[in-house]
Amino acid sequence: MYRSTGFIAFVLRRLTGVALVIYLLLHMWVIGGINSGAETFNDRMEFLGKPFFRLLEIGLLAAVVYHGVDGIRLLIGHYFQVTEYRRGLFYAVIVVSGILVIAGGVPILLFALEG
Amino acid sequence: MATNGSVPTVTIRIQRFNPDADKKPYLQAFQVKAPPGKTILDALHEIKEEQDGSLTFRRSCRHAICGSCAMNVNGRHMLVCDAPLREHVDRHGVLTLRPLAYLPIIKDLVVDRTSFWEQYQRVKPWLIPPENIPEKEFRMSAEEVAALRDAEHCIMCGACYSSCQVIALTKQYIGPHALLKAFLRVLDPRDSAPAERLADLDRGDGVYRCHTIFNCIDACPKGLNPTEAIETLRKLVIKRGAFEAARAERQRRLDQPIEVVGEAPALSGGE
Repeated sequence: MYRSTGFIAFVLRRLTGVALVIYLLLHMWVIGGINSGAETFNDRMEFLGKPFFRLLEIGLLAAVVYHGVDGIRLLIGHYFQVTEYRRGLFYAVIVVSGILVIAGGVPILLFALEG
Repeated sequence: MATNGSVPTVTIRIQRFNPDADKKPYLQAFQVKAPPGKTILDALHEIKEEQDGSLTFRRSCRHAICGSCAMNVNGRHMLVCDAPLREHVDRHGVLTLRPLAYLPIIKDLVVDRTSFWEQYQRVKPWLIPPENIPEKEFRMSAEEVAALRDAEHCIMCGACYSSCQVIALTKQYIGPHALLKAFLRVLDPRDSAPAERLADLDRGDGVYRCHTIFNCIDACPKGLNPTEAIETLRKLVIKRGAFEAARAERQRRLDQPIEVVGEAPALSGGE
């Protein structure tokens, strides 16, 4: 095991990627419910309206934001010679992602607590 | 570090594995003195000669140029012949030595580098000269030589290869060492088959398998930059036709003097 910031970024990127695929399947299951009629769709929406799933949306936001911002970091790496700043770029991704997740997570949290 | 008189004693934990006797690798601790100037390789020799003759490791030149003694010291790859013992013990006076990661262990600190060399062969690491070889010499500009400087200093120690997490996942990936060598040959004005080389790299297990983890840069004991070489190759792979045409044009004047404008750039630095 060779640890580095690049390794952490790689693992996080893979995990969030898999998480997003699982979310997408769940999403399709909910939206696909409309094929079986309005009642099925509403049942599924109600099931996902529980506070637990609303809190999980913060996790979804974090996964989307990290995966996207890290993608931008990789694009910067592909187009510019920035290997010298590889650690700084990773920390920048963490900071930017953190700010965005807090900014978006607080309203989601308040909404979930309102029930 | 415990001190014994004026010379401190340090603990070296070495990962041992004898395929005939052990089911899995384990760490064994040895005590050695650590006078100034003693390298980790010196300590390994001392342990082998005085404490345990069965300890197995690779080494050859002891001048950080053969690449045989690349090992993992406290989680970082390095050439142990070039690493002072005292600088690498942690605050508890302990140093942990493991073989290169992600490769099959033959015994103790010796790993099987078969896949490393097989991938290296894949890029045809030799120069393919043009048909009209100049009678006297190839003429290259200082800029052309400087562009190759990074890749030329590779000593094939395997540190980048065994720090790459993509290699950990699949041995089908060509690897940073082979891509750095491909970069060296592709950018060499004397090479006449850059498009063919780039076409070989234009595959799922070629340049595109790199996940830009940057471990190869962190691990390289010579301070080279395989990631940047891979990024350059990715760009050239796309426009290899135009690149080959420019190369053919360049090779028409391989025997002609290079026009030097101003002073040639310095080739030193970087390490």
